[in-house]
Amino acid sequence: MTTKDWTQTALVECVVDSVRELLSLGADFSPQSDLVAAGLDSLAVTQLMLAIEDRTGIWVDESRLTPENLRSAETLAACVYEQMAAA
Amino acid sequence: MSRWRRRDDVPLTGADCFLRSFDDEVRRFNGAGHLSQLVLRLGPGFDVDAFRALITAVARTTPILHAPIRRRFAVGAPAYRLAHAARTPLPEVTVHEMAPSAATREQGDAGLPAIFRERLNARLAIERGELVRFDVVRYDGGAHGTDLAMTWAHLLFDGAGSELFIRCLDECFHGRRPIADLGRDDGAEATRLGGTFLERVRRAREWQERIIGFGAAPPHSLGGPRRHVAQVLTYDVVTLSRTETASVTQRAAALAGHLTPVLFYFAAAIRAHDAVFSARGEDPGHYLVPLPVNLRPKGADDAVFRTNISLLWFHVARQHVGDFAGLLSELRRQRRAGIRDGMIEKGVAAMDLVRAAPARLHVWLARNNLRGELASFYFAFTNDFLPGMDAFLGAEIVNGFHAPSVMPSPGSSLIMSIRAGRLNVTHIYQRGAVADDERLRLRAQLLDDLRGRTSGAERLRSSG
Repeated sequence: MTTKDWTQTALVECVVDSVRELLSLGADFSPQSDLVAAGLDSLAVTQLMLAIEDRTGIWVDESRLTPENLRSAETLAACVYEQMAAA
Repeated sequence: MSRWRRRDDVPLTGADCFLRSFDDEVRRFNGAGHLSQLVLRLGPGFDVDAFRALITAVARTTPILHAPIRRRFAVGAPAYRLAHAARTPLPEVTVHEMAPSAATREQGDAGLPAIFRERLNARLAIERGELVRFDVVRYDGGAHGTDLAMTWAHLLFDGAGSELFIRCLDECFHGRRPIADLGRDDGAEATRLGGTFLERVRRAREWQERIIGFGAAPPHSLGGPRRHVAQVLTYDVVTLSRTETASVTQRAAALAGHLTPVLFYFAAAIRAHDAVFSARGEDPGHYLVPLPVNLRPKGADDAVFRTNISLLWFHVARQHVGDFAGLLSELRRQRRAGIRDGMIEKGVAAMDLVRAAPARLHVWLARNNLRGELASFYFAFTNDFLPGMDAFLGAEIVNGFHAPSVMPSPGSSLIMSIRAGRLNVTHIYQRGAVADDERLRLRAQLLDDLRGRTSGAERLRSSG
């Protein structure tokens, strides 16, 4: 997939949905919520990136995930979008 | 009334049963047990009498700490027989008085008491409820600090559980947690099996097929195949400074990822062992190492007792080991594939399915599938050690680390954690498995890779 198929807004929704599903979170988890505080750990981050890959076809290696990228679903979606644009 | 009190038995988890099998084998072949140890190096002010009273009080309301591990009937999974705990001794607290250590206790294992290593080579009668013991070494009556070792049958806790237990003890001491509260931990397993029985059988089969596949290129360890030798383990601890640790953790995050630094340390551990094989002029062919995966949800403060882990296996051809970045890339690929294929859950299913099997069957199966040796070495990176906890029972925690025992085969294990911003590297090894010069070579290569240098190991390599 490319950025033609995805908007940043859709990617944010995709990340939020994936996180909610993975960590069994409810509607109180928002695009601005802190991912690590929500329960993202070493295993969950890989599961999350695999879930995002399943939905978008884009794999973002964990080594690219900085504290800034992992601040929220929004920042993570921006990182995925960037990777998508570069693909 | 605690949930435990309503039941007589707490069954062992699948991982517990594997570890019990290790214990059985080490008893039969090596005259020791499969134990683990948590060491706290404390500053002045540790109240040993209060500690002893606390352990007594906690043990009286927490029967799993001294419950015999047996089967209820001839068949079925072994369990902690809680009803029998009333007739077993409480965990022992032994105090050793020593002169002030000449060495700086802030530096790794300088002056670490010999009794700690001796305890790791002893055995605990788990079938009689002897599951954990404490050794308190006081320097100059405690005025120059105290070293505390908690040694336990390596199934009563896993590494994370042992830290949770220490934290709970401190909370009980300060009145922030009722002492009886610990007994309410019913071991509500972090391990969730899910699926029907048949689905779990299918998962277990897939896991076993993966293990059998490794047998095509079986592991070779520094300790060699299983032998009838006495288990004589010792361990070295290297503690990096805060500045050095900050540099290492930055490098780990940059190369392996902010939340997944474990693979960086793992790669360094593989290359450290490979440096020894190189010096020996041996080619191990492949490295096979199981990476423990903590199954507790992040931040979980229950599931203190029993082993709540699965294993993610890594099988790395030696051709990937020469280049650090290439090795890391291969480990990342295998981890991703393992998680995608559900190998963590399949491992849980497989270990759970054979819980009722005789103790020695687990290791026999593993050795059979792997054609002899169980692994190239053992490794764990447990990240922050007692994060946010500065003192234990009022005494400053100067340092702390884990030292789990390793069977004479594979005979070598690297355990790493970070205590208050300083990386501790604990190398546990069997006498005869690693010679002194090899131990230094292993350490030099490890530290070079952690620091991103090549000097020390290259120097040793060229001189070897």
